[in-house]
Amino acid sequence: MKRVLVSLLTLLFYFQVSAQQYPVLTPAQKLVIRTGEDSLSAGIAKNKTIVSGYGSAFYQRDFNKGVSTATLERAVFFIGHQFNSKITFFSETEIENAKVEGGEPGGEIALEQAYLQFRFSNSTYLVAGLFIPRIGMLNENHLPVNFNGVERPMVETFIIPATWRELGVGLYGTIPGRPLNYSIGLMNGLSSQNFEHGSGFREGRAEGSFAPANNLAVTGALQYFVSDFRFQVSGYMGGTVGLSQKGADSLGLNSGGFGTPLYLGEASMQYSRGGFSAKAIGTYVSMPDAYKVNKAYSNNVFENMYGAYAELAYNFFENIHNKKLEEQEFVAFARYEMLDMNSKIPKNGIYDGTLKQQHLIVGLSYLPIRNIIIKTDVRLLHTGPQNPELNPNPNPVAAPYQQHNSFFNLGIGYSF
Amino acid sequence: MNRRSFVKTGCSACVAIGTGLFLSTLESCGPAVSTFKTSQSGMKVSVPMTELANSDFKLVKLKNFGYDVGLQKQPDGNYLALALICTHANNPLSKTGNGYTCSLHGSRFDASGDVKRGPAERSLTKLPVQQLSDRLEIQLQEVKVG
Repeated sequence: MKRVLVSLLTLLFYFQVSAQQYPVLTPAQKLVIRTGEDSLSAGIAKNKTIVSGYGSAFYQRDFNKGVSTATLERAVFFIGHQFNSKITFFSETEIENAKVEGGEPGGEIALEQAYLQFRFSNSTYLVAGLFIPRIGMLNENHLPVNFNGVERPMVETFIIPATWRELGVGLYGTIPGRPLNYSIGLMNGLSSQNFEHGSGFREGRAEGSFAPANNLAVTGALQYFVSDFRFQVSGYMGGTVGLSQKGADSLGLNSGGFGTPLYLGEASMQYSRGGFSAKAIGTYVSMPDAYKVNKAYSNNVFENMYGAYAELAYNFFENIHNKKLEEQEFVAFARYEMLDMNSKIPKNGIYDGTLKQQHLIVGLSYLPIRNIIIKTDVRLLHTGPQNPELNPNPNPVAAPYQQHNSFFNLGIGYSF
Repeated sequence: MNRRSFVKTGCSACVAIGTGLFLSTLESCGPAVSTFKTSQSGMKVSVPMTELANSDFKLVKLKNFGYDVGLQKQPDGNYLALALICTHANNPLSKTGNGYTCSLHGSRFDASGDVKRGPAERSLTKLPVQQLSDRLEIQLQEVKVG
């Protein structure tokens, strides 16, 4: 028996040594031996842990307040690791406003994503963990080098609360033979208890931290690519009460998976050709039981809200045939946004005209290389009138509310 | 509007808009992605010339391999084969109307494989193509990641 074992080990050792040196192996065989994996890993290099990131900083002048602010808005670090050709880990860790001190208001450290990706094929995969659902244009692709304007679009901040991530599973794929991508997701729901007047449902997201899991949400998206266009439609339906049935009943709320639901629909379009680009999005949110939420929590929430924007941009360097400018971009853009965070309020709500807003943003972006951006813009804001019922400090205690304001922004961003 | 009517109206509108967009674009542009499924032999892939008779582009889908290949006929009659895996974080790419996109961080590449949008910094890996009488032979390579 001992002899047999020794012989087997000797044979194994021989094969290992000869496998590394034998000159007539095919490249595929060499690859398999070198990476120590099965043939499923063929084609992927051995360097499997990836570190990258992005960040942005800005200066902003608020002309009505006469106040200027400068901050390192965010620095985000990606870490990804490929366990094998089928299973990969991705994460994004974000530090907002540079500094976080215990008990002090200010910055934030948060995981933006942390999930495992299970690849069924090169066009179909499942993610599980803290992931960003495909809703809107910015949520999934929010790197500062990939959007115009120092600030993220308001519609995709307050109506679609990017960067919106939740815990759950998502399936992503492509319809065979068509440039049609799909995604569906099942995630934890929202918490209407945390909704705040004036920020939509942004504060009701759990972002992976003690998410209410008595309730659920489903989301789905379709993306279609044709010529120089990308079209997308997406939807979301989720419960907003994660309480027990007893707790919800006592507050007059509907519990269960999709109790006291919130619905969101979005459609968007992007176009890019010859230096010219355009994008447009429209989104609508409804919470039919807002009356019950207001009654339970007195947070003056919306029943319906909507937002839309359109942007046109032109890269002046695109058509200048100069080697030095090939990697550079100099973009002028204009974006018009309109939104109303209380387009319909429940009977027990108080209408707030300041949440009906129009923004006109005009600016420039310069990319000396593709992953560095210097941006500047001016944002003109117009809102509806302030409701005196919502103003605890009326004039002359405080300055009267001004429906017009303007902002000057200057920022830098990077990704790698 | 109550919940039931909202869901009904919203879903109907989305289906109508989506179907309209989908059908109109499909009709005007025809089948957008011509696909050929095969397996690699060692580190080579063979694509019969007949597969490219009616299309200048072929998405070569490989079983049990780390990436698919975008095979494109060039105006000069040569063929360009690209490894369809993002050079930033090794995510598979989707074919768009005029290039390729990565859903993970938003990198975009044009039809030649050159970077159009970061964070990817390197162009897609070009794979050698040998033109034989009845087929194209693509030499697969190990793709550098990150």
